[in-house]
Amino acid sequence: MRNIWTIFKREIRQYFVSPIAYLVAFAVLLLLGLSFNTDLDYRVANQLRPDATLVLSNFAFLMVFFAPLLTMRLFAEEAREGTLELLMTMPTRDVDLVIGKFLGAWVYYCVLLALTLVFEGALLSITNFGPEGFPLRSRVDIGQIIAAYIGIFLYGGATIAIGLMFSAMTENQIVAAFLSMAVLLMLWVGDIAGLVPASILSTEVVEALRVISLQSHYSSSFLRGLIVLEDMYFYIAIMVVSLFVTTRLVESRRWR
Amino acid sequence: MIEVQGLVKRFGDFTALNHISFKAEEGEILGFLGPNGAGKTTTMRILTGYMPPTDGQARVAGFDVFEQSLQVRQRIGYLPELVRLYPDMTVRGYVEFVAEMRGLKNRRQRAEEVLEMVGMAHRAKSLIRTLSKGMRQRVGLAQALVHNPPVLILDEPTIGLDPQQVAELRTIIQQLGRQHTIMFSTHVLTEAEQVCDRVVIINRGNIVAEGRPDELREKVQDNTRVFVRIQGRFDEKKLLNMLNTLNGVEKSEAFQGGFVVTAKNNVEIRPSLAKAILEQGLNLLELRPLAITLEDIFLEYTRQ
Repeated sequence: MRNIWTIFKREIRQYFVSPIAYLVAFAVLLLLGLSFNTDLDYRVANQLRPDATLVLSNFAFLMVFFAPLLTMRLFAEEAREGTLELLMTMPTRDVDLVIGKFLGAWVYYCVLLALTLVFEGALLSITNFGPEGFPLRSRVDIGQIIAAYIGIFLYGGATIAIGLMFSAMTENQIVAAFLSMAVLLMLWVGDIAGLVPASILSTEVVEALRVISLQSHYSSSFLRGLIVLEDMYFYIAIMVVSLFVTTRLVESRRWR
Repeated sequence: MIEVQGLVKRFGDFTALNHISFKAEEGEILGFLGPNGAGKTTTMRILTGYMPPTDGQARVAGFDVFEQSLQVRQRIGYLPELVRLYPDMTVRGYVEFVAEMRGLKNRRQRAEEVLEMVGMAHRAKSLIRTLSKGMRQRVGLAQALVHNPPVLILDEPTIGLDPQQVAELRTIIQQLGRQHTIMFSTHVLTEAEQVCDRVVIINRGNIVAEGRPDELREKVQDNTRVFVRIQGRFDEKKLLNMLNTLNGVEKSEAFQGGFVVTAKNNVEIRPSLAKAILEQGLNLLELRPLAITLEDIFLEYTRQ
């Protein structure tokens, strides 16, 4: 337990001195800002209802590409640099090492997620708390926003855990990043497998793809303001399984 | 403190360690000698709990390195061969991080103490990436010492250092040897000779010799060799013939501007040798026993 905290502290500190973490934060904010602005413009011009979760669904999609950049170094860099050897001779269980690193990355993810509150704040300041007579037609549902954040928080844990697993699989950070991007993208697009004609994919396969899709477990529940236990369990299960595999991968280094 | 019994490590078809056994007593400095690829690092990695052995047993401070790995790791300070530290951390930050991993309470104070001990206190606030190799080595030693472990395992601690740094590090190791059991590997023989109480020589995964440096020297020194330097006009062949016929001489050969004469069964040949040379009307410039160094022992044992 104690060592999880020690590792966690080191990792989180590492994010704040690493240029990649800042670049990711910069890119995410920039892209979200652009899409937020365009969307708001469009809705104001067309007298549409504001969409408070658009930023979050975009954030979730961006994380398919950016979460691997946050996790790629966690084990791959240590293995390549050789710092893992000393770490693995400390009186620490391998699972503590994995959990500490996972929590460090997840918390940094949450920092990024917290940055998106800027957009929610901007939206609320012109809707719910905005001046009378502003052209946006209706108020946004704060409960829905809270549920959406819970969902994206859990989704992030799952993507980070998957990224961590690939980081433990190779000593090459680039390979780790691309493998996790590929897998995350496949898991993400599983949701739209339903668009494939039934003559190509049987309904059972489509259903299976949807069940393991990372997107379907937030898009139809959390983003609509629903907290569905089943979907929470799904993300928790992804985390547990990935962290278990990661621990085994780290342990397997000892046997090579 | 360290007990190794029939340790085997295989990597696929390659046998890195082939049933090695040795011991290190409390407070002893054990030198682990061998050419590159002999199995030194593998042995140390097994002892530090980094990798499990294929077969055999190793105990450190009474704990089995595989079954009770965490207890063993808590009692070992380890300096790996390539000291890899986190470049983005400060020296003190890193030592404190290790202290925290080791579960120490007074981390700041302990970090300052060990940095003082290895002479790095003045760079405590520097980033590790800015340090030279020798300095990193010292920080590596500092992190190995931070929890005051009963056993220190140092893998080639002096490699890549300049002569002065090497001398300083050796002094540190010797001082530490009073309170810690130290096992350190090297392929620099003079180092082992100067620093170690006992030496284990390993070659191709087998222990080929073990003992105090002077014991090992005696073992190899089965016949005394004498070095002679002569002044005057002489025919080398004739002189060698003459020397060979002397009582008690096994053989003689030209060597570095003089001759090396080997005696049979440790017979003292120096008086008769001197007399014979003077009788030839030649001047005797030098007559001394050839000292056997650990180098000779090492070559003797690791030949093939």
